[in-house]
Amino acid sequence: MSARGVRAGPGVFLLLRRLRAPLIVLLLVYAIAVIGFTLVPGRDPAGEPWKMGFFHAFYFVSFLGTTIGLGEIPYPFSDAQRLWATVSIYSTVIAWLYGIGALLATLQDPLFRRVVHESRFSRTVNRIREPFVIVCGYGDAGALVTRELIEDGIRVVVVEKDADRAQLVEVDDLTTNVPALHAAAVDPDVLLQAGVNKPWCIATLALTGDDAANLTVALNARLLAPGIETVCVAHHHEHQAAMARVGAGHIINPGDSFAERLAEAITRPSLRIIYDSLTAQSMTPASTPRRVPGGHWIVCGYGRFGRTVSRHLREAGVAVTVVADQGHAGDCEGAVTGSPLDARVLRAAGVAQADGIVVTLADDTLTLAVTMLARELNPAIFSVVRQSEKRNTPLFEALSPEMAIVAGDVVGAEVLRIIRAPQLSYFLRLARREAEPWAAELLHRLQAAIGDNVPDSWSQRFDARSAPGVATVLAAGTTLRVADLLLARDNGDPWMQAVPLLLQRESGKVLLPDDDERILIGDQLLLCGTPQARSSLFWNLHDPDALRASAARRAPGATTVIGEYPGGAGARNV
Amino acid sequence: MSLEKILFAFVIVLALTLNVGFVYGNPEIIAFHDPYDLCIALVVSLIATVMKFGERSLLGSTMLATSLVADVQLIAAALVWGLRTMNGEAIDATGSVMIVSLAVGAMVANVVSVVLLVIETASLRR
Repeated sequence: MSARGVRAGPGVFLLLRRLRAPLIVLLLVYAIAVIGFTLVPGRDPAGEPWKMGFFHAFYFVSFLGTTIGLGEIPYPFSDAQRLWATVSIYSTVIAWLYGIGALLATLQDPLFRRVVHESRFSRTVNRIREPFVIVCGYGDAGALVTRELIEDGIRVVVVEKDADRAQLVEVDDLTTNVPALHAAAVDPDVLLQAGVNKPWCIATLALTGDDAANLTVALNARLLAPGIETVCVAHHHEHQAAMARVGAGHIINPGDSFAERLAEAITRPSLRIIYDSLTAQSMTPASTPRRVPGGHWIVCGYGRFGRTVSRHLREAGVAVTVVADQGHAGDCEGAVTGSPLDARVLRAAGVAQADGIVVTLADDTLTLAVTMLARELNPAIFSVVRQSEKRNTPLFEALSPEMAIVAGDVVGAEVLRIIRAPQLSYFLRLARREAEPWAAELLHRLQAAIGDNVPDSWSQRFDARSAPGVATVLAAGTTLRVADLLLARDNGDPWMQAVPLLLQRESGKVLLPDDDERILIGDQLLLCGTPQARSSLFWNLHDPDALRASAARRAPGATTVIGEYPGGAGARNV
Repeated sequence: MSLEKILFAFVIVLALTLNVGFVYGNPEIIAFHDPYDLCIALVVSLIATVMKFGERSLLGSTMLATSLVADVQLIAAALVWGLRTMNGEAIDATGSVMIVSLAVGAMVANVVSVVLLVIETASLRR
């Protein structure tokens, strides 16, 4: 039922076409009644023969047909006129009933509602005059991404195949108007209706639960709008290659994403803390999570997710025992078969000595029960559970496992990272390649610079538009270094509470640039720091005088001078 | 040949013929122009408009537009008639000319409608 070819026009034309017959009936009945009144003989008060004019006849039939009934005008009627009035009353009232009935039936008609829904959607999309993102699939991930993007001030257009979920967009408490189309996103026409080729569209997110559909959406978006970002979710590995081939900019596999993070948490605990604090959503303070132990782990359930987690854990040097139902263990060696709800099975898997357990069963009730049993058998065990249905969240919160995974949340968090801070996700990818000592040192540096404050990370581009001060100073031939930017100008701590994480320029990248790294026009710098540091950096970047003063203080080889920089001397307080 | 097509062409041509019938005669003398003729011409013109709502042909929108023009002109003529005969007055030469010229305008629109209908029929099955 989606758009195909040229539409007959907006809903009003469909409505008029449907109402053709009732309108013609109404016109004919009125015409006959009016003409009849002009022909039927009457008498005026003086008893002279008199006939109604067209004007009076139309006036009389008008209030007659709508059952208002103002009486016999302009003179009391003759019997012949009363007879014709009776005929007119019945025929006009029936014509009206027929017309109104047809009107209501058309308004209720699914096809008509569909046309109105689509044209209203297209109109809203066409009116958007700010950057927007198309979200295909309004599941857990889609809803999370929609809400967060709207908080960021980015407009969202939703395409959802399921009518109930498409209606959730209206019910969900969103602060901006989100146009939602109930249609299959695999249809190229639907993507066009959603505005994929509009200049304001910045990204298409294929977040449906169906990998094949996501692949199609990515391909269609790629062909229809080659310039925009495409993010694609893959639940199965076999689809990822195809998605990469059709040019999906980012492919997210929730199982992989989570398993990687879990394995990292074991091998590189510092990196995990950095990761968590940099990707914390909407300014949640970084808590100190329990350290994830290595050693021996049990994985209950050997589905797609269980398999991925076991592989990553093994790669991280963890001994893994898989517990799976008979026939589901597949090629896994050393697997214990049986129901994980059976204490004997868990004991056989070594639950008493295990350091951690991953419970990823198809059914949430089963997952909860197994986790409770495992804790009973080993109170110190580190439990990681996978929750499959969002509505069970209160139960999982009550159980409070050390780590809980909801596939939708994992996907949502990844998508947001890509859209919000592309440089941050690149940095995290680079950081994964580094070893634990590197991460530990960075963590130490971050803690020294930022302390217990809530960290914020942002990208800064150095060009005439976003950093006019820097552009002016560089154009004058002065050399600027990273440290010059980070000198605070008020009288407190001479350094801003910020750490530069990644410097990207066309010729390459510098991971954790040091103080002496030069800043060039066009560079993009990723920083992590307090919101105060962010705003004072903003003022620095707009003030060439302050930057020149910083650069001048920084005599060659005199790094120590900076520590004594009084802050207020060369710069105005803002 | 279908009943719907016949009815459609019938109504459009009838709208033109009634219109011509009303206009024919000395425009200065109202006795040449019958109010029943104007009333029926208006009703038929309105019916033609409603029937054109359903036309999906390429010329459909143009036909709907010309039909709406005819409606507007005829309604204006009927209104002038109503205003000029208010309280039993007789229509003088200026009123008569005004009514007839409005109806002539409607006639032009109806001629265009019929021409479009002929063009469409002629270009069918090419």
